[in-house]
Amino acid sequence: MTRLRPQVVALLTPYLLGAFLLIALPAGISFFISFTRFNGIDRPLFIGWQNFQLLRRDPLFWVAITNSILFITLAIPLRVLGALGLALLYSRPRRAVGFYRTAAYLPTIIPDTAYALTWLWILNPLYGPINDALRLLGLPAPAWLADSAWSLPALVFISLFQIGEGFVILLAGLRHIPAEVNDAARVDGAGRRQIFTSITMPLLSPWLVLLSVRDVALSFQSTFTPAFIMTRGGPYYSTFFTPLFIYESAFDGLRFGQAAAAMLMVFLATLLLVALVYFIFEGQGFDED
Amino acid sequence: MKTRLLVFIVLIATLVLSACQPAGGSISFMVFGDPAELAAYQKLVDSFSQAHPQIQVELIQVPGQSDYRKRLSADLTAGDPADVLLINYRRFAGFANIGALEPLGAYLEKSSLITEADLYPEAVNAFKWQGELTCMPQNMPSLVVYYNKDLFDSASVPYPAADWVWDDFLFAARALTKDVDHDGVTDQFGVGIEPSLIRLAPFIWQSNGVIVDDDSNPSTLTLDLPEDLIAAEFFVSLQTVHHVVPNADEEASEDSESRFINGRLAMFFNSRRGVPTYRESAVFDWDVAALPQKDVPAGILHADAYCLPSASKNKPDAWTFIEYANSAEGQTIIAASGRTVPSLISVANSPAFLDPNAKPANSRVFLDTIPTIHALPIHPNWAEIEESASEEIMRAFYGEASVDDAMLRAVQLSREIFFEK
Amino acid sequence: MKIKGLLSIALSGLFLLPLLWMISASLRSPGLIPSRGLEILPEAPTLASYARVFEILPFGRYLFNSLFISISGVLLTLLTASLAGFGMSLLGKRARFRLLILSGILQMIPVTAVWLTRFLLFAWLGITNSRLSLLAPALMGSSPLFVLLFYWTFRRVDRSVFETAQLDGASLFQVWLRIAVPLARPALMAVGMLSFLFYWNDFITPLLYLRSQTLYTLPIGLLQLQEMDKTNWPLLMAASTMMTLPAVLVFSFLQRSLLWWDSE
Repeated sequence: MTRLRPQVVALLTPYLLGAFLLIALPAGISFFISFTRFNGIDRPLFIGWQNFQLLRRDPLFWVAITNSILFITLAIPLRVLGALGLALLYSRPRRAVGFYRTAAYLPTIIPDTAYALTWLWILNPLYGPINDALRLLGLPAPAWLADSAWSLPALVFISLFQIGEGFVILLAGLRHIPAEVNDAARVDGAGRRQIFTSITMPLLSPWLVLLSVRDVALSFQSTFTPAFIMTRGGPYYSTFFTPLFIYESAFDGLRFGQAAAAMLMVFLATLLLVALVYFIFEGQGFDED
Repeated sequence: MKTRLLVFIVLIATLVLSACQPAGGSISFMVFGDPAELAAYQKLVDSFSQAHPQIQVELIQVPGQSDYRKRLSADLTAGDPADVLLINYRRFAGFANIGALEPLGAYLEKSSLITEADLYPEAVNAFKWQGELTCMPQNMPSLVVYYNKDLFDSASVPYPAADWVWDDFLFAARALTKDVDHDGVTDQFGVGIEPSLIRLAPFIWQSNGVIVDDDSNPSTLTLDLPEDLIAAEFFVSLQTVHHVVPNADEEASEDSESRFINGRLAMFFNSRRGVPTYRESAVFDWDVAALPQKDVPAGILHADAYCLPSASKNKPDAWTFIEYANSAEGQTIIAASGRTVPSLISVANSPAFLDPNAKPANSRVFLDTIPTIHALPIHPNWAEIEESASEEIMRAFYGEASVDDAMLRAVQLSREIFFEK
Repeated sequence: MKIKGLLSIALSGLFLLPLLWMISASLRSPGLIPSRGLEILPEAPTLASYARVFEILPFGRYLFNSLFISISGVLLTLLTASLAGFGMSLLGKRARFRLLILSGILQMIPVTAVWLTRFLLFAWLGITNSRLSLLAPALMGSSPLFVLLFYWTFRRVDRSVFETAQLDGASLFQVWLRIAVPLARPALMAVGMLSFLFYWNDFITPLLYLRSQTLYTLPIGLLQLQEMDKTNWPLLMAASTMMTLPAVLVFSFLQRSLLWWDSE
């Protein structure tokens, strides 16, 4: 096969070239711009660490980072657990399991903008269905997205409905556990819980890691559309996330240098959180496939 | 095999074709607004095309006002902005400051259709940057109170008088806030007003307060002065004490302007912008009144202007359009839609604007209050100042912070933003 | 077992609610105060809001644009991702490992970190405000995940299948076209669906790049509607329903490969 190297390389060229142009190169440019003052029109002016110092003093930046990290801490574990629960519930062939799986995946299909507008309606304080139901049951009906205490939790809640991709990944993971392994364990007298903790979980952990890592990286940008459409970062900055901060720095303030510095911080934060995920799943080996 | 090759070729062709940027008209005109406003601009474009058939104008609608600024910034960065822009005087300085706008003063001097003397000086001054006229003022509305005459009638409240004061206003507001079907929920509100800096400003000026320390070179907001606080307390009390405006939940469920259009809100504070929509959708009898007064009569300017980006690739045609739009003919067309208070003195005093048969019958109000209009300071970072201050005002308005705390915080934040320049 | 059954039904109902509420709200009469009770279907359902969407915006144009971008995006993605996945599956162990790590890293870089500089790059290349700016990710298979999906599929195929074809004198490209692709049907369907949704949903890219209204896609259209009439819920829900429908259709055609592989 090695003499076919040139042909193989040709097959890989669009991917590698694309990855370079669309990700590596912009990331590199981003790194350099973060050390300049650049308004997008004039030439960038080198200013060293100033952007980072300005960011450090900027309360809005810290609000944005805090909100993003808060969101990730709340949403990721719940989403991964939710996806795991669904996968376990629906892994065996049963009557109508196809229908159940489809229903579980359905909210993920709804386009982001339509999804955001729909929840804006559903969580409407006076007229939306959820508060209607709460009032009928005599329960308090908070203002959700119009209340700075409830808005971020509301966004976390909304994200829990769109766990279709995680669900499918874990389903695939469960499929890879041969039935014989479970059967053999049962023959050996292992109870259901034991099978779960000693066999299923360890075999699933690479998938869980994959899912968590992917979710962490995605969460830094998946909050843009909901926050933009539903609350514009309000009320009073309670849903002001890092992507929104970056977008507004660049296009409202024409401060590309600072926006790039913030982007660098986001990347570092992602690395940190991913390392944390690995640490949590430590010792569970990482299979190539 | 053949079909797959065909698909492949089609794909490549698609890619190549999609790289082409669309062939717009010879110039593009970027606006924002709701459908009725857009219809007015479309009429202007159509009429222009008849007068100048060789110039094609592409009308571009941007989703909303705050998106407009970001879209423009992105386009400027890409070196590809629309040729004719519509920018508010509170927003244009940021772009003028980075040299993105072509100063139109020189073009105006050479024009045979219009001269500077034909325009209201207040509007012209609002668009001077470093002494030079940068954009062509299109309109000069101020803030007024739109009121639902039917609701006033059924509550037997007299219409707002030309010289009514804050107490009169509050009285009417309270009388017009009702729980119509007695289910414990307010169905009709007396007032709708956006908790923002530009809505609060006239109240401050009327109390003899000031917004900034130095109009020509501001370095801080002054919302924590005693006179300013008096105005802010009154403003905020409309919600927190008197409940004549919807609270946060109610506003999120159905915004004040919708309530007004649907006949469930008696008095709505707005500039001239709402007129085309109200003409089309309001099924009740309505009119406008001047702002209620206090110690000093004061109103607030809301002027917009046509601007020409220096990166435009077709400046002569763009100027021809701007000139036409600002001529008596162009301004009459837009005025007829109700959208503007024309910046041309002649058109503003013509039936196109003043016709009492076209609502609001009392359009005179916009002209009568011109002498007492104040303009906000012109500063490149003003948009951010407004946003940051408005967040604090909103917090106090919906009862999440005291007025003193909110105003103090707004002042502190403003110093950072002004300093950034 | 009964518990599982009941739980499944309850969960399914829960997941279906957002869509149901979207449709139900779209059928209300605009302008009236919505009734305060809980209702699945409004009292006097009307399609007036659907018509109004088309009155206010060139929604048909937006629909066309979204379809064009999505379908082109899918075709291009299937092409580049399967090529790359195939190529990767043929490499030697070390090269494969390196590329896997690379793909993993690429997958992890949040788009937020490259948005703006990608914008600057595209601005410099002069392709902002064009369809190409929206389709650009398709050049690299749209997402490393898609490449990996194909990679895993081809790894499962016995090498000898490819090798025999090559001994017969076929070039790698022909092997890919004639043999590999037909073997990857499930992956094609999965990636097809996922990439369709990727482009159909894309909000940030058109927001950033598009200026000409003739190019606007549905997400921008929805934003326009929201800016024009913020609390006209029937209107917004009507537009949302229209935007969701094609996605649901695509999903229903292709979801079998993803979800129904083993049920009756």
